[in-house]
Amino acid sequence: MTGWTLFAPELFMLVAAGIFLILSLGRPAAGRDHAAALVISAIGLSLGVWAVGLEGVLFAGVYRIDLFSQVFKVLVGAAFFLVICLCGDLSGVSEKRHSEFYFLLALCTLALMLLASCVHLLAVYLALELSSYSLYILVCLRKGRQKGLESGLKYFMTGACASALMLFGLAVLYGTGAGLSLAELGTRLPGRIHEPVVLAGIVLALSGFLFKMAAFPFHFWAPDAYEGAPHQVAAYIATASKVGGIAVFMRIIASAGGAGDRLAWFLIVVSVVSMTAGNLAAIAQKDLKRLLAFSSVAHAGYVMIGILSFNAMGLAGASFYAMSLLVMKLVCFMVVVKAAPHGDNIEIRHLAGLHGRAPILAAALMLALFGLAGIPPTVGFTAKLLVFTAAVENGLLWLVVAAMANVVISLYYYLQVLKAAYFIEPERGGLALSVSWAENLLALVLAGLIVAAGIYPRPFIAAAQAMTAGLV
Amino acid sequence: MEMYSAAFPVLSLILFTCIAGLAAVLLLPADRGEAIRYVSTGCSGVALALSLYVFIAYDRSLGGMQFVEQVQWVPSLGISYINGVDGFGASLLLLTGIVFFTGVLTMWEHEVRVKEFYALFIVLVTGVFGMFMALDLFFLFVWYDVSLFPMYLLIVVWGSTNREYGAMKLTLFLLAGSALILPGIIYLVAESGMHTFSLPDLVAHARLSPFAQKLAFFLFYVGFGILAGVWPFHTWSPAGHVAAPTAVSMLHAGVLMKIGAFGILRVGIFLCPEGWRFWAPVMALLATVGIVYGALAGLRQTDLKFVIGYSSVSHMGIVGLGLATLNVDGMNGAVFQMFAHGIMTALFFSAVGYIYDRTHTREFADLGGLCRVMPAAGGYFILAALTGIGVPCLASFWAELLVFIGAFKAYPAYGAVAITALAINALFILRVVEKTCFGPVNEKWAHLPDVSFGLGLPRLVLACAIIIFGLMPSLMYETIQSASVALIGGLP
Repeated sequence: MTGWTLFAPELFMLVAAGIFLILSLGRPAAGRDHAAALVISAIGLSLGVWAVGLEGVLFAGVYRIDLFSQVFKVLVGAAFFLVICLCGDLSGVSEKRHSEFYFLLALCTLALMLLASCVHLLAVYLALELSSYSLYILVCLRKGRQKGLESGLKYFMTGACASALMLFGLAVLYGTGAGLSLAELGTRLPGRIHEPVVLAGIVLALSGFLFKMAAFPFHFWAPDAYEGAPHQVAAYIATASKVGGIAVFMRIIASAGGAGDRLAWFLIVVSVVSMTAGNLAAIAQKDLKRLLAFSSVAHAGYVMIGILSFNAMGLAGASFYAMSLLVMKLVCFMVVVKAAPHGDNIEIRHLAGLHGRAPILAAALMLALFGLAGIPPTVGFTAKLLVFTAAVENGLLWLVVAAMANVVISLYYYLQVLKAAYFIEPERGGLALSVSWAENLLALVLAGLIVAAGIYPRPFIAAAQAMTAGLV
Repeated sequence: MEMYSAAFPVLSLILFTCIAGLAAVLLLPADRGEAIRYVSTGCSGVALALSLYVFIAYDRSLGGMQFVEQVQWVPSLGISYINGVDGFGASLLLLTGIVFFTGVLTMWEHEVRVKEFYALFIVLVTGVFGMFMALDLFFLFVWYDVSLFPMYLLIVVWGSTNREYGAMKLTLFLLAGSALILPGIIYLVAESGMHTFSLPDLVAHARLSPFAQKLAFFLFYVGFGILAGVWPFHTWSPAGHVAAPTAVSMLHAGVLMKIGAFGILRVGIFLCPEGWRFWAPVMALLATVGIVYGALAGLRQTDLKFVIGYSSVSHMGIVGLGLATLNVDGMNGAVFQMFAHGIMTALFFSAVGYIYDRTHTREFADLGGLCRVMPAAGGYFILAALTGIGVPCLASFWAELLVFIGAFKAYPAYGAVAITALAINALFILRVVEKTCFGPVNEKWAHLPDVSFGLGLPRLVLACAIIIFGLMPSLMYETIQSASVALIGGLP
């Protein structure tokens, strides 16, 4: 297999970005861009699926293609495709910016795909910045500017801080001789993690990924960015960008290989604070997207439990968790996109009457919310079971009890959303929304996936175990 | 634990019946309420017939786990799909079947969002059935939660008095319970080092340290105990029962609270006998406090549903006391009480539901002379009240008798206190019956029709069950005995 074939999905994304760049030079035509995006993202996704199973190393060892990277590329590609599916009504972005919107989205997808494969911290940094910069602009694309700009700026400032800290951490790691390629780190870190400066280096280096995953202490951007961004961009941040962050975070922690108690304690603190802060803050939210943002912070904490367990089960669990988040968050954002008129923001109470207007969408939302809360028989429960099992095997029973306490807290606000969708009657006229058969089908498929993968998770767990087997 | 495979997967068939019923309800258009009702009735009827078959066909002389089905599910995690029932499971399956069937019929008159109601109701019952037959801890927990999550919507959409508060409180309390159970299960599986969630395998081969057993039993006891209404975790129960619509109250007080007690039994006691022995005195104390507290708090209530709600706390305390005795009589009594109380509360809520639907009040001061206005409906109410008091020849009598025999062997003081509290409560219940059913007729209700045969059918079924098992307790007793003798005899 030659190098370029290995690189095919990424190359295709580059070409796709190029196509949209060219389209953006011409006269705007709303339907054309969306149709092109649908076709291109579908091809990108199939190419990603085709590339599963390829193995190899490119670019002098900084770029590694293995099952882990390829599955995450499929996930990112799937998120890209599904977000494009939600772009039928892109009224949050002014019409003449649609081509740029797709261009940046494709570019960001390319960056996230690169991120999954990078095994050298400098390459990781470049990919991370490429994806972040695309998203900074995407967040600002919101029509009516003011809100979008403000949140874009906040996103940018937090991101810039995180990446500055990360660069500093990389310099420290390099300076102490621990190295920057993951292979070097894997051999040298376990012996040297007890040196304070090495520990500081790795902790600082992790800040870039904590930002990407919206974990404490780099989560402050999430609610504002979600609120200010066009819905589809928020959906993309919640799914693709998060999954990409999880992928690279897992790779780095796995290569550090159970590196000492102190790193574990750092991650435990990050995890507990992320869960608790995210869940408590979410209770107070009225805006649905802000609520989803805080729930996303909490989920970063749950995923972290799997990663910090430093064992095979934990890594498999975290991958499984990433897959489950993708599906559940997409369903929630599908409701946001459909229920919000003209791309405006939507408060929880505006969901009133959803069950009557769009029963399938409402049912899918119910399953997604229970999934996010981790209630069986949904995929969200299985994901939590996996990461919790990993933690208990590692002797962290108390952490699991703390996480379950958080699950109960989170249930409160998920039930508020559910109550709005199912119980509260709309004031006047209510929700004006029409759901096409294709969208109903999509909701059905996603809801089916949430339940099916919850009841019979065997193939997905097998995939998660296979892809993470090479990491440890 | 002896395991006898099923020639025919009748247990799974019960679950499939429910799932098929659910699918049919979902596929029917929402405006065809009549068809949806018939489908639900058919589905619940088949489920009742199958659970009755299991109860009758269960071989008491053989004992052990029967009708066992086993399929590998996720081998890499040690999860398999195992179903099976022993004497405990068989009796509680029958209870679920009866309450499911009568619950569907009780809601016959209700017209609001029929499709969603029955869909959620069937999901709930599927979870309950699954829980009583599951022998794999993963599935046991999944079914447990499946039976909880429809509750929120069922109460908030179709409920009454203070429903948003009641529904949220109930859901959060019960989920807080499962937040303890899940870590407990994972901890046990990890401690055993066997990499399996299979309950029979763990019971047979796991060597758990006494500390692990004590810790895990504590998690299970509190976790499941919240659902079982163990004092002081019971506060969700009266609020939730009052807020819920009739059929949901029936199912909830009748069956769901039993899931909690059954969870303590199946998971806690089977897997952590050492822990059970260690915590039994605490269980007995809390149960006795629950009995007294429920009985005394009931004295202050004026709303019929609150009266039943607090009597449930009291009666579930009797179950808890039985489970804490560590002897065969206590165990027999506890499980018998689960069954008897389930039927009795279902009848109670069903009867009150009928009265409330007509009069729109549950304050017994506003009622009066109902026996003259609607003799049949009043009769069912009185029968339920008498059963609750523990009048001989009705099912609850035997259950309470057995528990107190066991309790006097193990904790004579607690037994004496509990009986006194129940006697006081019995007087009060009789006063409630007098005020509601006898005395001068409230003119406002004089024109109300009595319950017709069709609408009375669910109450009739429940009443028959109470009388049959009251007159022939050996039907139930021997089934339960086959499991409890083996359990107590097998203790290390």
